[in-house]
Amino acid sequence: MRAQPVNQISEKGLRVWRLYGIMQTIVILLLAIGSGVLVYIFEWPGWLYAIAAVVVVFFAYFLIYLFPKVRWTRWRYEVRESEIELQHGIFIVKRTLIPMVRVQHVDTSQGPILRKYDLAEITISTAATNHTIPALLTEEADGLRGRISVLARVAEDDV
Amino acid sequence: MSETRYKLHWITAVIQVLKTVKEMILPLLVIVFANGLNSSSSGVWYLDYLSFIIFGAFIIVFAITGIIKWKRFEYWFEDDELRIEYGLFVKKKRYIPFDRIQSLDYTEGILHRPLKLVKVKVETAGSSSLKKSEAELTAITKEAAQIIEHEIAAAKMTKKAVSLEEGTVVEGIEAEEQSQVKSIFTMSVKDLLILATTSGGIGIILSGAGIFLSQFAEMIPFEWMYEEVSGFIKFGLLFVAIAVFFGFFVVWLLSVGMTFLSYYGFSVSLDQQDIVITRGLLEKKRMTVPLNRVQSIRVIENPFRQIFGYAAVAIDSAGGGGAEGAKINLFPLVRKKDINGPLKEIFPDLILVEPTRKLPARSRRFYYRIDFLWMVPAIGAMAYFFFPYGLLSLLIVPVIIFYGLWQHRSGAYELSGNQLTLRFRGFSLQTAFLMRKRIQSMEVKQNYFHKRRQVASVTAAIKSGIGTFRAQVLHMEEAEAERILSWYEPKTEKKGRQE
Repeated sequence: MRAQPVNQISEKGLRVWRLYGIMQTIVILLLAIGSGVLVYIFEWPGWLYAIAAVVVVFFAYFLIYLFPKVRWTRWRYEVRESEIELQHGIFIVKRTLIPMVRVQHVDTSQGPILRKYDLAEITISTAATNHTIPALLTEEADGLRGRISVLARVAEDDV
Repeated sequence: MSETRYKLHWITAVIQVLKTVKEMILPLLVIVFANGLNSSSSGVWYLDYLSFIIFGAFIIVFAITGIIKWKRFEYWFEDDELRIEYGLFVKKKRYIPFDRIQSLDYTEGILHRPLKLVKVKVETAGSSSLKKSEAELTAITKEAAQIIEHEIAAAKMTKKAVSLEEGTVVEGIEAEEQSQVKSIFTMSVKDLLILATTSGGIGIILSGAGIFLSQFAEMIPFEWMYEEVSGFIKFGLLFVAIAVFFGFFVVWLLSVGMTFLSYYGFSVSLDQQDIVITRGLLEKKRMTVPLNRVQSIRVIENPFRQIFGYAAVAIDSAGGGGAEGAKINLFPLVRKKDINGPLKEIFPDLILVEPTRKLPARSRRFYYRIDFLWMVPAIGAMAYFFFPYGLLSLLIVPVIIFYGLWQHRSGAYELSGNQLTLRFRGFSLQTAFLMRKRIQSMEVKQNYFHKRRQVASVTAAIKSGIGTFRAQVLHMEEAEAERILSWYEPKTEKKGRQE
C-alpha cells in the first residue's frame, strides 16, 4: 500500500465548502418554500409539507456537514522533486500522479469568497489534463506555484 | 534577400465562392421559398422577382469578395519563416517559423484534380484554434507545393549543419540524402469493400438526414403529408415496413459509397521520420504525421470485424487538426495476423505483446453491479405500467450481466520496460500501447466497495490533438494498480528513495 500524500489543504477550505453548502441549501430551502406555498394554495395533502422539510434537512446534513468534512479529510497533495501526487474524492478516491516533466504551466486563481478567506486555488496543467488543488492559503499557493514552475523547468526527460 | 511573392491559383476564387454559397445555401433557400411560394402577383415586376434579385445580388457579392480575397492572398519565404498576407478589409499577416511547422497536409478536391493543384494545410505543434490549421493555401500548383517543402527542408538542414558544426555535419547530410519513401501498408479493394460495408457511418448519415429534415420541417406541408400517410397505411403495414427497410438500405448504400470514396487507395508510407497517409478517390488527401508526435498506438477490434479476423489500428497525434486530427486511422482495416509486421516497421521500439495479465475473479461483480442502480427502477416502472408485457424487461438483466462479464474477460494489461499496454472493452476491444514518456498523468480510482475487495481502476491520460484520450482498465487488482502507479513514478525519485 502506497503512503498517502502528506499535505492537507487549508482548514479554512472546510469553512468555505460549508459556506457553499449553506448557499446550496438556501436554494433548496427556497424551492421547498415554493412548493409549500403551492401545497397551501391548491390544498394538496398535508404530508407533502413533511416531505419538503425532510428533504431540506437531508440536504443540509449532507451539503453542509458530511460532504465538506469527508472531502476535506480526503484531500491531500504532495509536491516532490520530480512529481506531484494528489488524492481526492468523496465516494471514489482518486489518486493522481503528475510527473514534473509533464507540467506545462501552473495557475492560481481566487474568486470573491476565496479572497475573503485569503485562499486561492492552484491549477496544474499538462498537455492533456488539468488538476486543481481547491483551497490553499494564498501565500502557500503562490509559493507552490513558484516551486512547481522551478521544478518543472529543472526536471529532465529521462525516458 | 529579396523574396518572390507567390499567389494562389485563380481557382481559389471559385472555391471560395462555392464554399460561401454552400454555407449560405439554407438561409438563401428560405428567402427564395418564403417569397416564391406566395403566388399572388402584386403587379410590380421587381416585387415578384425580389427573391431572385436578392439571390443574384448575394452571388455577385460573394463572387467579388472571393476574387478580392484571392487577389489579396500572398505568401513568401523570409528569414526562415513562411509569411502569409491576406484579408478582405483588414490586411492580416501571419508569420510561421519553419521550425514550428510540423507537417504539410495535402488535399486534392474535385476542382483541384484537372488542374494539377493541391490544397496545402500547414500544421504546427500547438494550433491555436480548434478546427483550423495554422494556415491554409487553398489551391497552388504541385510544383509550388514542392517549392515550399524544399524551402522548409533546406532551412532545417542549414540549421542542423550550423548546430552540429564539428564533424557530424557530413553524417547529417548523408542521412538526409538517403531520404527514401518506404511503403508500409496499402489496402486492397477487397479489404476496402469490407471496411465500407461494415463501417458505422450509418448512424452519422441518419443523424445528418435528421438534422437536414428538421431544417426543412417548417416548409414541409404536413397536412398534405398526413393524408398521404394515412393512404399509405391502407396499403398495409408490410408495405410500410418494406419502405422503411428500403430507406435504411439506401442510407447504408450511401455510407458504403462514401467510405469507399474517402478510403480508396489508402496507403501508409514512411518518409524518414514522418508517417505519410494518402487516401481518397475523388478528393485525394495526403496527411503527414511526424513520428515523434505520435502519443499512443491503439489496436481496435470491433466484434463484427473480429469474427472475420480483422482489426483496425489508430494512433493519437499531439499536433494539428483539433478534434478530427486527434485520432488517426493508421490501418483502417487489417487482418489481425498482419498487424505486427508493418507496425513494427513504423515503430521499431514498440513491444507488441498480447497483454497477458488478467483481472481477478473477485472484480467481476463490479462490471455489472452498478447497472442495477438504473435497471431496478426501470424494470420496476416497466412492470408496473405495462403489466404483463413490461415483465419482459427482466430479460435485460442477463444481457447486462453477460455484457459486464464480457468486459471483465477482455480487460488485461502488461508492463514491459517503458511501455504500458492496456486492454479494455467498451463495445469494441481496444489495446492501447502507451510509452511512459507519452503519458501525461495517471490516476488510480477506488470507491468504498473497491477498497473492501482490494480492487482499483487505472486511468492513463494521453494527449490527443488538443484533447485527451484516457485509456483505462477498470477494477483491477489493487496491488497491481499500485505497481503501475509506481512504475509511472519518475525514476530519479525512486533512486532518491532507495538511497
